[in-house]
Amino acid sequence: MSKVNQRSIFLVFALLLIASLIVACGAPAAEAPPAEEVEEPPPAEEEAAEPVSLDFVVWAYGLDVIQDNINNFQTANPNCEINLQNYGWLDYHDTMVGRFAAGDPPPLLYGSDHWLQEWGSAGWLDSISDNFPQVLDYDDELAPYALQGMTYEDEIYGLSYYADTIDFVYNEEQLAEAGFDSPPESWQDVWDMSVALKEQGITDYPLILAFSQEEGASIEAMISMIYGRHQGSGALFDENNNPTFNSEGTAAYEAIEWLREAYEAELFDPASLTTAELDQVASMQAGAHTFTILPQYNMAALNLPDSGDYAGSFMIGLMPGDSHATVGYVRFYAMTPEAENMGPAAMDCAWKFLEYFGGKTDNEYTVVKRWAVENGLGFAQLPLFEDPDVQEAFGQWGDVDVIAAQAELARAKEGLTPWFGTWDVFTRAEIHKAILGQQSTMDTLNNMADYWNELATQ
Amino acid sequence: MTQQQVAAKPKRNWAILSQRIYPYLSILPVAIVIALFAIYPILHAVRMSFYQYILTRPNVHPFVGLGNFVNVITSYYFKESIQVTGIYTAASVVGVIVYGLGVALLMNTKIRLSTPLKLVILLPWALPAVVSGLLWKWILNSDFGILNGILYSVGLIDNYIPFLAIPSLAKASLVMAFIWKEGPLVAIFFLAGLQLIPHELYEAARIDGGTSWKIFRNVTLPLLRPVFLVVIVYETMTAILTFDTIYVMTGGGPANSTALISWFAYAEIFKSLNLGNGVALAIIIAMITLVLIILYLRVLRTEESTVTG
Repeated sequence: MSKVNQRSIFLVFALLLIASLIVACGAPAAEAPPAEEVEEPPPAEEEAAEPVSLDFVVWAYGLDVIQDNINNFQTANPNCEINLQNYGWLDYHDTMVGRFAAGDPPPLLYGSDHWLQEWGSAGWLDSISDNFPQVLDYDDELAPYALQGMTYEDEIYGLSYYADTIDFVYNEEQLAEAGFDSPPESWQDVWDMSVALKEQGITDYPLILAFSQEEGASIEAMISMIYGRHQGSGALFDENNNPTFNSEGTAAYEAIEWLREAYEAELFDPASLTTAELDQVASMQAGAHTFTILPQYNMAALNLPDSGDYAGSFMIGLMPGDSHATVGYVRFYAMTPEAENMGPAAMDCAWKFLEYFGGKTDNEYTVVKRWAVENGLGFAQLPLFEDPDVQEAFGQWGDVDVIAAQAELARAKEGLTPWFGTWDVFTRAEIHKAILGQQSTMDTLNNMADYWNELATQ
Repeated sequence: MTQQQVAAKPKRNWAILSQRIYPYLSILPVAIVIALFAIYPILHAVRMSFYQYILTRPNVHPFVGLGNFVNVITSYYFKESIQVTGIYTAASVVGVIVYGLGVALLMNTKIRLSTPLKLVILLPWALPAVVSGLLWKWILNSDFGILNGILYSVGLIDNYIPFLAIPSLAKASLVMAFIWKEGPLVAIFFLAGLQLIPHELYEAARIDGGTSWKIFRNVTLPLLRPVFLVVIVYETMTAILTFDTIYVMTGGGPANSTALISWFAYAEIFKSLNLGNGVALAIIIAMITLVLIILYLRVLRTEESTVTG
């Protein structure tokens, strides 16, 4: 190729490069697009013949049941078409963040209390109470921890899909085999019983926890261990969200120390550090462990007939510790500003959908009750505890009195702020380091507090 | 000038013009695609790295200069993850070269079943990284994993080993998964290199009394140097940028022991929701990779010129 040609080709590329540079540097800084001016759509009644199509994104659990509920909803509301989309639980947060940031939010979706502040402060979720004040009528019937978990800046952002407690679960048959006829009351009891179980060769590692670094619910298990040891509020943060946990003798210190020592004594399965909830349930069903901490909805699956030799042996005990308190959490149906952007007919369908799924239809919590009876999911709607069908269903896999007692002692997670999710991810690795003995418990707690303060000042 | 000559002149001019334009028109579509999908995103990313982009504050993007780079370099994870990445990359590249070369030498010999063997050895390369990660996650599972089952049944272990829960074993497991996944490609590269070496050279070496080891060291290895260059550069890049296998197998744990620097680029964006920091980190990773590649090229070219000179 002649020099002239080479120079010309170089020139073409250089021009393209400069053009790209100009476009790149001149591009707007990915600002959120201003709300497009939506042509005033005709009133909802006039659109009766034209169904509104709304995307509804969930994490993959009970998809058949969800689709069936959607079908029932659509039969009752022929003008509303719901398109179900799903992602895995472990990827859900990150995938949704990607969709929000890319300007592709679905109008309806699942939300969780530990992301609400983050998503609410970004404007990714729309306030339900602001758009539909009638949602406030449900407040009196909701468990306080659940209501708190769906509230951001005094606005309600969800209707409860399910609400559960994080429970201490034990294998009654294995415990009886080791000579114990009641569950542990304190963490010292858990230690003593674990030693006996191990010495008698019943389980090699009596305790397993879902503490994988990717497990979003691990923070809830950790906090429940802290709450159980602590009386009242302020176990982690004061009312101004300042850390209170980073000193020796706090419940957080005791909880992490206990885990570290149990790891050293081989009472706590080292595989916990790579275990997610599904593996945890499978391990318990196989009888590999006697104690665990998990969300209550797993109890139905654990005790499912034919699920293993120990089906029916798994029981809930109050969270060990002086206060027996635990974490109560809520997952909820939420909406994004996308629903509002789609116009009044879409908003009308969105409210009908939210109320059908998380509220009452014909004066009954139809969908919430279905999840409770068929899948054993917990609920925030307190009147359901009196429902005979629910009592019968819950009685099949647990002691209803213990479940109700633990629900009464449940508290929302402290420190729910826009940066809680970021702090949680950092915290998982720090707790691992303490358990593995890579750093002291105090170093872990101090690092956690420092990082919290750093995030708070940002 | 005849009338015929006058009529032919504009025709010739057009032919010359189209001949000149043709090459540029030919490369224009590709150049546009490259500009649109490679140059523009890179420049846009570089620009973003100088601004604060916190996803929860979508309308506030102040200029922060090198602030994002400072944030990343002084972060709690930077030093530790660089160490983890260095160890992982070194072990993976050495491992995959040894494995790939061994397999290539085996496939280069005339043994029975070499065709089905090639197919079996190539299979892992055909699998998506996520599938390969999931396979290894289940193989290494501490309660139900087949590896534990085999070791236990032959009496090599008394208790199942939590391979992915002990930091050193978790790292080793990831390296093993990398070698298994990438080894076939490397083996193909080396096999191609081996088949290009003239047989006469081996025959001459044997006539001169060379042992198998001496022939390998003095004939095979020097002639495979170009292949080594390609393999080292490619596998170093692949190892540094490993993400999906880690995401599936360990999620960066336990205690961040398998969290490579590329993992934190993801975590900054999707866990901490700080796009500015994430992009700054991605640029740092690209720079590190670029520097390493330039170093490799220089070292290998220097050696090459020493050998040939």
